[in-house]
Order: sequence, then structure tokens, then C-alpha cells
Amino acid sequence: MNAAPAPAALEPEEAAAVAARGYRRLALRRLVRQPATLAASFVLLGLVGAGILAPQVAPRGWNSIDLSGTWVNHGPTLASAHLLGTDNIGRDVLDRTLWGLHYSVQTAFVAGAGATLLALLLGVWAGYRGGWADAALMRLADLVTGFPILVTMIAAFVWLRPITVWKTTLVFTFAIWPFAARALRARAASIAAEEYVQAAQALGSSDLRIVVRHVLPNAAGTVVVAGTSLLGQIVLIESMAEFFGFGVPSVTRPTLGNLIAEATRGGLFDAVSIGLGWWTWATPMLALVLLLAAVNLIGDGLDTALNPRSSRA
Amino acid sequence: MTAFLLRRLSLALLVLALLSCGTYCFFAWQSPSGFVAGEGISANPHPPSPLEQYWAWVKGLWGGQTLDGILHRPTFTRNFTSEGPMLLDSLGHTLALLGYVLVLILLAAVAIALVAAARRGSLLDLVLRALSYLAWAVPAFLLALLVQGIVNRVGGSRGIGPFPLAGWPGQCPAAFGLNRGFLSPCPSAGTGAAYAWNVIRYTTLPAFTLAAGFVGVHARYLRTALLDALDQPYVTTARAKGLTERRVLLRHALRNSLVTFAGALLADVGAIFGAAMAVDYVFELNGLGSVFVSAFPVDMGSVNVNAIEPVILLTAILVLASSLLADLFVRWLDPRIRDRT
Repeated sequence: MNAAPAPAALEPEEAAAVAARGYRRLALRRLVRQPATLAASFVLLGLVGAGILAPQVAPRGWNSIDLSGTWVNHGPTLASAHLLGTDNIGRDVLDRTLWGLHYSVQTAFVAGAGATLLALLLGVWAGYRGGWADAALMRLADLVTGFPILVTMIAAFVWLRPITVWKTTLVFTFAIWPFAARALRARAASIAAEEYVQAAQALGSSDLRIVVRHVLPNAAGTVVVAGTSLLGQIVLIESMAEFFGFGVPSVTRPTLGNLIAEATRGGLFDAVSIGLGWWTWATPMLALVLLLAAVNLIGDGLDTALNPRSSRA
Repeated sequence: MTAFLLRRLSLALLVLALLSCGTYCFFAWQSPSGFVAGEGISANPHPPSPLEQYWAWVKGLWGGQTLDGILHRPTFTRNFTSEGPMLLDSLGHTLALLGYVLVLILLAAVAIALVAAARRGSLLDLVLRALSYLAWAVPAFLLALLVQGIVNRVGGSRGIGPFPLAGWPGQCPAAFGLNRGFLSPCPSAGTGAAYAWNVIRYTTLPAFTLAAGFVGVHARYLRTALLDALDQPYVTTARAKGLTERRVLLRHALRNSLVTFAGALLADVGAIFGAAMAVDYVFELNGLGSVFVSAFPVDMGSVNVNAIEPVILLTAILVLASSLLADLFVRWLDPRIRDRT
């Protein structure tokens, strides 16, 4: 893609406003002024909260079977012991979805944080230093991001079988960081060319000090946006790999992806024809769609709030 | 130009060689020792090392034996009542789907972006926004499942109108055997124009499903590029000359925005291919996605290197070719980039 046009200089009154209020407060105000982002934050908070609190909210666990005859393949009641019904062998759909959310959210946040850290270290190093390290890192990022990541993930899952949630997290950390590295490297490279960095260099500051005091604070907005976008990608790709049947089996550990896969083996119509109710697949699907929509809306909102001059439509 | 092409091609070949060696040795190492290419488990007490296996595979490739065996290897997909497609056919299925999708994305994105750029804040602008949010929130496999479910509800198990629910001409889907209304033998695929029409019939639902996830994003790219172009001095000049707004938009703004757009679209082929694997799997098109997923046994016990390697290589070739094509296309469209090297 072509390079974005250089941002225009701040208008005098705008610069005065930034000086008076501070960048962070202004960014926060821009964030709060977007109703969609605010709503998405509440949805995400609710979903993550429900996921984290799964052991408290759904203490029965994901495999407990209700043996009383009426509770096999029962539709949503919205009132009694099984709010959203049960599946064909009497497991509570809501409990399973909550636990699926628990493990999906855990993978996404831990792997997302790890990958962002990795991308930050390598991207800032490459962008600040330039040279062969920069070139090598960017070629690697091109390779990894160009190739369908699903294939990469499946190869890794085959290697690490039997797969567990923690192994999935590890694989995602090491497979997905190049997706964020490019943006972080570009930001670091543009900061490294700024006059205040040159001034610091002329004053004899060490590279470490320049990176910590000047590059990192100025790249913070890019880091947050890149991290959020990684979060969404991990949720998406994990659910896709699980849907294909790679990754953790739903009996060992439910995730949103393998719950959907389990309820829709061979397509929705087969699910209906072998007697699985719509609620068994609609519940994890709704959770997945809400999670993805919330994460991506927040990412978009953060981008607008933290980089107000980015030319994104 | 020739130097550029030579440099890019040699780089692509290097990447392919490294990738094939890496993945082959990896999967050969993962499968039980003693698994010899094409011969199954042998009683050899000193099984060949992964590198030796890879070398044998490459030599076969050079001699044309492995290549023939690869391209006409019967594959196994979950569509188990019909015979599995040859790998070459699977590649054809995937290419047909990708081509259809790229044309759909191109047409829809250009149309939507033009209207959205001409009328900022209109209903279509809103639709565009909604489409890109949809693409963010609903993964391709989920959308495919939902489309299939809805079509099944509305049109029945035979699909809607001329568009079947799943399968490929001559290869009917038959998971769980008898419950999909395909008790009669699968209708023949036809030849010539009839075959082409059949292919279009079978790929329409998957292609629209797949395109829905990408149209929004690319229409937004193009809209931004168009709005940038409309601010440029040459547009003011064109308007000052007295050209109609339509001509300004189509001949001046759009032409200059297409560079960015085409580059972004072709660079996205890797992602589109990944989503196509899922759609392919759900709609049982027997393309590379179905073959790749079916190449791994469900319990992941042992992996057949020779079934997986060609799929990985074909994927890599597709991605590399599309990135090269993107660069060539951008150079052709933009003389400034062409003259730089």
C-alpha cells in the first residue's frame, strides 16, 4: 500500500487544547463520545466477566449430565435449572457455553498479551535500529502473514498433540505476533526519525533510555490498537481451527469453536435431522459473534480515539 | 522489468524450496517411522530419515513420477459416498471459487465505493459500514453454516432455485447417507456449456457467502482512496474543464484509486484463501480445503506426508503467485513505481 500522507501540523488552538488538557484525557473524551465503542465495551466486559467467573456461575462443570428423563434435548426454558436448554445427552447448554467462553477468553487474552509483547520488542528493535535485522524481520512477517494462518496453526497442532489449552495459547503467541509487528515497526521507525530522538541521541542518551523514555510512550496508542486487533484475530482463528476439529476436544475442554463444531457436524441441516435443537449451536455462535463484534468495534474506536489523524474511513 | 521479474521469481522459488523441505521433513518426522512414500509402513528396521524421504520425493518430482502421482492422487473427503476428487480437480474447484469470489468482490466493492464516495453519509454509506462490521463479527465458517441453514429452511434440502445446498457437479453431498433427499443417483456433471453452468450453480452460494465477508473491508479501502483522490488538484482541474461529475469520478478519481485497491485486494488473497477453506468444507465443494482437512485423521494418530505436502505447496504457490501478480499489476497501473527500479 502507498504510504499515508504525512499528518498536517496541529492547528494553533488545537495544540493549545492538547497542552491544556493532556493527550490521555483528550483521547478518553474522544473514546467516551463514541456510543458504539462504549456499548461494545460493556458487552465485552460482560462476556469476559461471565467467562472468568464460569467456575462460580456454572459450578456444575461442562460435562455434568442431567439424568432425569425430561432434561434430554430440552429447549430453552429461561426459568428453571437449565436456562438455555440441554443438548442430546442432557448437558446444560448455558453451562457449556460459559465454560467455552472461559477457555476461549483465557487463550485470547494470554496469547494476545504475549504476542503483543513479542511484537513490541521485535518491532521496536527493528524499527529503531533498521538495517539487516529490520529487513529480516519484515520478510519473516510478510511470509507469516501472507500464508493462510489456518494451515500454520494446524501444522503446529499436529506437532504438539495431544493439544491442551495452554499449548494452544503458546502456539498462538508464537504464530500471530507478526500480524502486529508491522504496524509497531512502522511506528517505531517514524518515531526514530523525529527531532526529539535525534536531540536525545546528540545529548548522549543510551539506546535503551531513548526507547523507554521516548519511543515506547509515543507508540502506546499503536500498541493498544495492535493488541486489540490481535485479540480478535486469535478468537477468530481459534474458533476456525476448532471448527475443523483441530485443537482441544470439547470433552476435555470446551471452547466456543469446538462447541459450535460439535453441534453442527456435517452442517446445520444434519444437526437438525439427527435431533439436535437449534439452541445447542445458536448459544455458542451468539457468544462468538458478540465477542468478535465487541473486540473489533473497540479496536476501531480506540484507533479513532488514540490516532485521531489516521486516515481510516 | 526483466530484472525485477527474475529477482521476484528466484525469491519465490527459494521460499518454495525451503518451505517444501521444512514442511515435508516436519510431517515425515511426525508420522510413524518407516512410513515410505507411497508404500505405507514397511518392515525396514532402518527407516529412512525425513531428509532422505524428502530427497526421494524430490527425485520423484523431477522424474515426473511423483508429480503425476500427486496431481492424480485420489483424495478422501468427508463426502464419502462418491469417489474422492483427484488433487488436480480439487485445485480446479478452489480456483473456480476464488475466481468467482474475486470477481464478485471487485464488482460489488467498486459499485458500493463509487456510490458511497459520491454521496457521503447516504443510506449506502451506512450499508457499507454495516457490511464491514458484519465481516468483522461473523467468521466465514459461521456465515457459511448460517447461509446453508437458512437456504435449507427456505428452499429445502435441494437448495434454493437453481442453486444447490452443497456439493460439486457430479459429486453430491451425502453425509449421514440418506436424509438429504439424494436417494436417486447423483445427476451427471455434464460437459461443455452445461458443465460450466453447473459449476456456476454449485459455486454461487459459497461464493456469495465468502464475498460477503470481504466486500465491506475492500469497499471501505476504495472509498477512502476515492475520497483522497477527489481532494487532489487534478480533480479540481478536471472539474474546471467542465467535465461531468460522473466522468470526473470514473475517469480520474477511480482510475487513480484502483492502484491502492487492487494491491490491497491481491495482498488479501492469503486471507481469502483461508476463509475459502472453511466455506469449501461447509459447502462440500471438495476443493483444497476439504482435502487438506480430511488429510489429517480425526484422532491425529498418524499423518500421511504425501497427502498433505502437495496441498501445502499448492497453497504456497497460490499465495506467492497472487502477491507477484499484485506487484506486477500495481507496476502496470502506476508508472511512478514502474520507473523507480
